[in-house]
Amino acid sequence: MSDAQTTDRWIRWLNTLQLVVAGIIILTPTAWMVMSSFKPSFEVTAYPPTVIFSPTIQNYIELTKTTPFFNYAINSLIVTVGSTSLGLLFGIPAAFAVSWTRISWPAILTLAARMAPGTLFLLPWYVMFRQVDLIGSYTALILSHAVITLPIVIWVLLPSFDSIPRSVFEAAQVDGCSVTRILWRIAIPLVGSGIAVSAILAFVFSWNYFLFALVLSNGDTKTLIAAAFNFVGEGSTQWGALMAAATLIALPPLLLATLVQRWLVAGLTLGAVKG
Amino acid sequence: MASISIRNLVKRYGNLTVIPDLDLEIADHEFVVFVGPSGCGKSTLLRIIAGLEPITSGELFIGDRRVNGIPAAQRDIAMVFQDYALYPHMRVYDNMSFALELRGVPKAEIDKRVKRAAALLHIEPYLDRKPKELSGGQRQRVAMGRAIVRNPKAFLFDEPLSNLDAKLRGQVRAEIKALSQELKTTMVFVTHDQIEAMTMADRIVVLQNGMVQQYDTPETVYERPSNQFVAGFIGSPAMNFFPVEWRGEQAVFAQDGSAALIDAENAVLMRRAGKAVLGIRPEHFVVADGATNGTTVTVKLVEPLGSDTLIHFDLAGASAIARVEPSLRPKVGDRITLRSQPGRIHLFEPESGKVLR
Repeated sequence: MSDAQTTDRWIRWLNTLQLVVAGIIILTPTAWMVMSSFKPSFEVTAYPPTVIFSPTIQNYIELTKTTPFFNYAINSLIVTVGSTSLGLLFGIPAAFAVSWTRISWPAILTLAARMAPGTLFLLPWYVMFRQVDLIGSYTALILSHAVITLPIVIWVLLPSFDSIPRSVFEAAQVDGCSVTRILWRIAIPLVGSGIAVSAILAFVFSWNYFLFALVLSNGDTKTLIAAAFNFVGEGSTQWGALMAAATLIALPPLLLATLVQRWLVAGLTLGAVKG
Repeated sequence: MASISIRNLVKRYGNLTVIPDLDLEIADHEFVVFVGPSGCGKSTLLRIIAGLEPITSGELFIGDRRVNGIPAAQRDIAMVFQDYALYPHMRVYDNMSFALELRGVPKAEIDKRVKRAAALLHIEPYLDRKPKELSGGQRQRVAMGRAIVRNPKAFLFDEPLSNLDAKLRGQVRAEIKALSQELKTTMVFVTHDQIEAMTMADRIVVLQNGMVQQYDTPETVYERPSNQFVAGFIGSPAMNFFPVEWRGEQAVFAQDGSAALIDAENAVLMRRAGKAVLGIRPEHFVVADGATNGTTVTVKLVEPLGSDTLIHFDLAGASAIARVEPSLRPKVGDRITLRSQPGRIHLFEPESGKVLR
């Protein structure tokens, strides 16, 4: 066997090992969560943990009985769809403008806002929203979650717009298009998969975001993820119900990601290698 | 259809001056080719005419209209790009009709114009296809079709043949030339390929460092180059250059003092100038028989091309090439005597490169 073949075999073996390790790290907590949600409450915290048990849906029944779970789900949906739409509405033209003008500081600014800890925004927002009497409103939650969705849309779409040859835009200019028309007629149809990917990622991140909803919502507008926190009590935690809630919360993003898996990978790597 | 007039045009990118000061008049219906080496400013000039690059100073007129600051969309010009720049998500038909649709042309008229252009360019079978389903040559035709349907004031071509293979390039070159004769529209064509420039242009603009070196018909640019740069750039293989001097009442090669073959007319110029650069095109050498005066050289390399033969040799310290009859096949190391065709040599000032006249 040649040296090259041996090296190839080693690389393949290490790749597989890497995938297995990553899979275990990622999937173990998820599997634990799902299993715990189907365990009787006394078994959830049993040590050593049980792997074989009699599954029950008691936790799910308790969850729906003790909390307005579906109301929270609707709240989550309103906030997530609202903030994702807002992110797309401003993020698509913003990404196009950054790509068109090649002035990147606005995009970096949005990224910095995304990187900053959420607690940084909380106090000013709380004060601002209270002054305009918006605390506990969907508007406050949607606007605050736009800080999550806007940078995602911009940064996912930027390489997509950049990958369109400049001459295509210039041809459109010569053909008689204004910049706005180039965006609508040429650029957006060419980055369809990028828009879909950015929308899904924005949806997932907004759906899962906990902090803003915890502080800025009220009983009527509480989102699922903030509501699930109620199961964590000071003296005791209802682990079974919490795991059932977590499983249900994780379902929509998981389902979305699975449905568009192929698209997601293609969209995320778009612009990485120009053909 | 319109003339294009460029007056005192300056183009700078920050501190870098790409076009220092340029004047150019392109007549209505004229086919003008901008030619020059990479970085000479030819594409920048074309993009300025198109409205894709702003002017630093100077004036640009398309017809009677001053178009400084007027966006590309409002200049009524069409452009064919090097990479064709077709809209990937649109069918060929939509690519061609897009500009007309933007201008609110009625659907029936759009259909008529697209089909007429498609027939002219032989792309009717591809109207429903997307650009990715076409070959390079077909895409090239669609790009031209997109320009033709608009009946613009001027067509601008930015090296549109450079992505085609040699055979197709020759074919499309001929088609563009035929098209220009049929459409009778002002056309500006950018290329670094001097064969394209020579074969297609009514007039050629030879550019170097953003300055017009010569603006004339292909014949004049070839026969009477205005300076050494133009002489060396136009013609393939390139013109041979040898430093020459006037010594003891005769012109000699500066390097070895041997007699340089200069006719009486050029001898007058040489006497006055003292020093010069002698230029002879490879095709203007003739192999002399024994009875004729000439310069004897040793054959270094022979390249039979079929239609003619290229002979490489050293003369007066410089490498040179002669293009001779195909029947002549000397061997490497053979000694042959060469002379220049009467009236076919050029003399240039050594410092400025300007032609001596």
